[in-house]
Amino acid sequence: MMVNTGIIFFPAFDWSLGETHPEREERLLYTQEQIFEEGIMDFPQIKQYSPEVADIFDVLRTQAIFPDYRQHDLDAHLIAVGSSIILGKAIIEKELTNGFALIRPPGHHSGATVWGNRGFCTLNNEAILINTLRAKYGLKKLAIVDTDVHHGDGTQDIFYNDPNVLYISIHQDGRTLFPGTGFTEEKGGPNAWGTVINIPLVPGVGDEGFIYTFENWILPKLQEFQPEIIINSAGQDNHFTDPLASMNVSAQGYGKITELLKPDLAVLEGGYSIQGALPYVNMAILLALAGEDYSGVIEPQKLKNMEVSGEAFLSFIHDLKKHHDNVKPNWIFRKEKYFPSGDWVYGEKDIFYDTHWFRERRKDYVRKCNHCGGTVLMLSQNLETYEKGLVIRIPFEACETCEQAGYDLFDALKEREKNIFLQNLKNNKVIWRIGNGEVNFG
Amino acid sequence: MGYKIGIDVGGTFTDTVLIQNNEVIKKGKVLTDPKNILNTVLEAFDFLEIPPSMPLDHITVSTTLVTNAILLNKLSKVNLILFPGSGVRLSSFNWPVKYSVLSGELDYRGREVLPPDKREWKELTQRLSSHSENPLVAIVSKFSHRNNIFETELKAYLENEIPNVHIALGSEWGKSNFYRRSLTTYLNLACTELFSNFRCNLKKAVISRGFNGPIRILKADGGVFPLERIRPVESIYSGPAASILGALAQSEPEESFIVVDIGGTTTDIGLVLGGSPLLSFKGAQIDNFLTHIRSLATRSITVGGDSTIINRNGEIIISNYRTGPAYCMGGNSPTPTDAMRYLNYIKIGSYQKAEEALAELLPENERQALTIRTLAESIIEQMVEKIILAIKQLLTEWKNEPAYKVWEVLHQNLDYKFNIYLSGGPAAGLAKTFENKMKTRAIISNWAPISNAVGAAMAKPTFSWTLNLDTSLAKYRIEETGEQGAWKGAKRPYREVEKFLVDISKEQALEMGIDFDSFKIEPFEYFPLVDNHRTIGQIVRGSVHLPPGVIGRIL
Ligand SMILES: [Zn+2]
Ligand SMILES: [Zn+2]
Repeated sequence: MMVNTGIIFFPAFDWSLGETHPEREERLLYTQEQIFEEGIMDFPQIKQYSPEVADIFDVLRTQAIFPDYRQHDLDAHLIAVGSSIILGKAIIEKELTNGFALIRPPGHHSGATVWGNRGFCTLNNEAILINTLRAKYGLKKLAIVDTDVHHGDGTQDIFYNDPNVLYISIHQDGRTLFPGTGFTEEKGGPNAWGTVINIPLVPGVGDEGFIYTFENWILPKLQEFQPEIIINSAGQDNHFTDPLASMNVSAQGYGKITELLKPDLAVLEGGYSIQGALPYVNMAILLALAGEDYSGVIEPQKLKNMEVSGEAFLSFIHDLKKHHDNVKPNWIFRKEKYFPSGDWVYGEKDIFYDTHWFRERRKDYVRKCNHCGGTVLMLSQNLETYEKGLVIRIPFEACETCEQAGYDLFDALKEREKNIFLQNLKNNKVIWRIGNGEVNFG
Repeated sequence: MGYKIGIDVGGTFTDTVLIQNNEVIKKGKVLTDPKNILNTVLEAFDFLEIPPSMPLDHITVSTTLVTNAILLNKLSKVNLILFPGSGVRLSSFNWPVKYSVLSGELDYRGREVLPPDKREWKELTQRLSSHSENPLVAIVSKFSHRNNIFETELKAYLENEIPNVHIALGSEWGKSNFYRRSLTTYLNLACTELFSNFRCNLKKAVISRGFNGPIRILKADGGVFPLERIRPVESIYSGPAASILGALAQSEPEESFIVVDIGGTTTDIGLVLGGSPLLSFKGAQIDNFLTHIRSLATRSITVGGDSTIINRNGEIIISNYRTGPAYCMGGNSPTPTDAMRYLNYIKIGSYQKAEEALAELLPENERQALTIRTLAESIIEQMVEKIILAIKQLLTEWKNEPAYKVWEVLHQNLDYKFNIYLSGGPAAGLAKTFENKMKTRAIISNWAPISNAVGAAMAKPTFSWTLNLDTSLAKYRIEETGEQGAWKGAKRPYREVEKFLVDISKEQALEMGIDFDSFKIEPFEYFPLVDNHRTIGQIVRGSVHLPPGVIGRIL
């Protein structure tokens, strides 16, 4: 079958998080050198698209930016989002078979509430894309498979209560790596239990272990869920040369994973071995998407670390899977006086912003519902400035009771809180109440 | 100011023009003899009847010599030797020529990953010398634009072993893209002999006519280059470039417009943005060769004034071929020119013949004046719509140019108001239809029939010097000349790099014999190189251009 592979290469050569920061101008420089020198852009099945700035409404539908989105420098992030959206649309419109958003900056650590940059991410490229595609094309079931070595806690946060988005993350165990989350017990909220799957691996797993996990766990789950589109958060820090993590995947391993997963769209996430890995991993992924032979992609450095494989890996992964399958939820029910009727499941967490070193506290309430994803209330506070921000989210395909509950909450809260987002995904609109004013999007 | 001559060799006719002080003094057309381009050029020159004493600034020739040789496969045989290293399989590409492969690998910064195997070189020598006394050899290594070491070493080796070998190196075409670099190096070497003969004979013939000044050749990028210095393959596709420059020479300085040059069988389309012709962001493709040859962004479609019109089961279609001149000019088949003649959009050719030609396309019982008129109009519409479709594709290509910096994305200027410049024989007959359909002004130049020759005569030289400096490896490279040298400056230089590049450019322009007055500097890119949280150097990229443009504007 002849494929049509779209690519947006947006290396943001004039943007960095600091001169010696891993997320700096140089990051995709050698990838450019490699891919351009290899002439991959000349393949007849590859079509290069030009980047665009995303509409802020597309962002706010998915992420509430506090205290005011206009105070953040979002330019580079909006281009990364916009680029993902261009390819996503071209895929849905069948202009393309698949695509690769080879972009900076990354996004998967950025969650439903945003106070700044964390894990190098400010806007969540894949999440915004997914909700944009749902709003524009009415897609019902979507999946994200996150192959970055770090747990995509931001993406998980955004879709935790969404039964129609399957989020699978395979990563290095949170006990040994940022951001410290992504354990098997995290399986989704009360209306979306089982649509989050975390596969935390011990350090040292290589191609063999990854491929085994894909074939025996991830792919069957996808098969069962039957998503209309699969997005790959294609982080490249599982490579054996990565300076921040300790996995042992090779460039060809990434090619094989891509070939197995067959994502509709791969979006670059992390990966900071900018010389040893990125030129080769990016090339392998692109070739695999384009249906070309990637077996000639060989990084100059050779694997030196001990690899966790064979029997040791098999027994590890079987135990992990068993544990995952046996985890049972343990909901805490709680509500405030002003809450609309129903059972509300409560959860709280602190979110650490490593780029500027502060914390956010989040208290979330989800309306338990048998008919829809349930309205969500998120109370967020920046623990450095003590500013507060609220989000009320009415899900896609909300039932009438949940939608009404969302508006009732908004009415009850708008007199006492200064900064509230009402995200009505069902009707595709966002109301941002700031001070005594309201800004309407959509 | 002295006199300037422009000669544009076209498929059927060769246009020629003499210009002084931005005024056309004499112009004309001679028939092109595709088998003898040199003679055609000289005929065009002689047509102008220049007295030997006339002070000529320069002669500029836009020639199809190399284009034709490539398309007709009349090239010398070249041995293509590749050092592909690892990465994409060579078999993933479509290779229009044979190649052989040697081992040895460099990485993206030009660092050696695997040394070459000298035993292979010995075998290669035997193979090359067994076929020919004086073989042509193109050597290209992956990443040779970052480090030409394999290429230069093999060159030295072969020159030592085979005294009459003629070698070209990929690093002389120092842009990224191994595949294109290989094919470009191959093509240029393959047409060198052909072009050298043309060069010598043209020079001789012109001197024998009493003229000793510079002869310039028009390139695909809309610039000229001295006959002695041009790389032969850069002379391809100068025709479309000539028509864009021709329009430029007749436009207002900051004007934006779409150039539509309608010939007998093909129509060329180009774009000028605020007075600057748009360059294609990819190199030109000729036949099955993807190259690094810089060219103006153009679209060519096979429709023209002499395209044969056919009746396919009752449907009237403009075909993509020509059987001869228009029926009204004595040809055998109906053409758009006949439709234009019938509608009195043009005045040359026989009205009666035009009517006959159109009537032939209709069933016998429908050959009334009104139906013929409707048919003629629909033919013109069909032709213009085909051209407009191509214009739209070109505009899309321009809007979809990739951007790699935040600044570029935020400052994309797509807000131009375009006029249309029509040139070529049938231009006059189509202007109204264009205006109606595109809702913009269509301009037909006074010099429409010889616009290309005017463009050639008025073109400026073009060249670029693109720097890639790696201070950590202490090496710099200039892409367009293939120069690679040692960097002795700072590890983290700043503005002095710009001066470094401008100095190189200035010196080389002088040496190449081209003016270096209106150069442009692209914003330089600085990449701090970090190792272990410390900045250890910089990669700096930047370029100096002599962009395409015209010396003056024709009154
Ligand atoms: Zn990561
Ligand atoms: Zn509900």
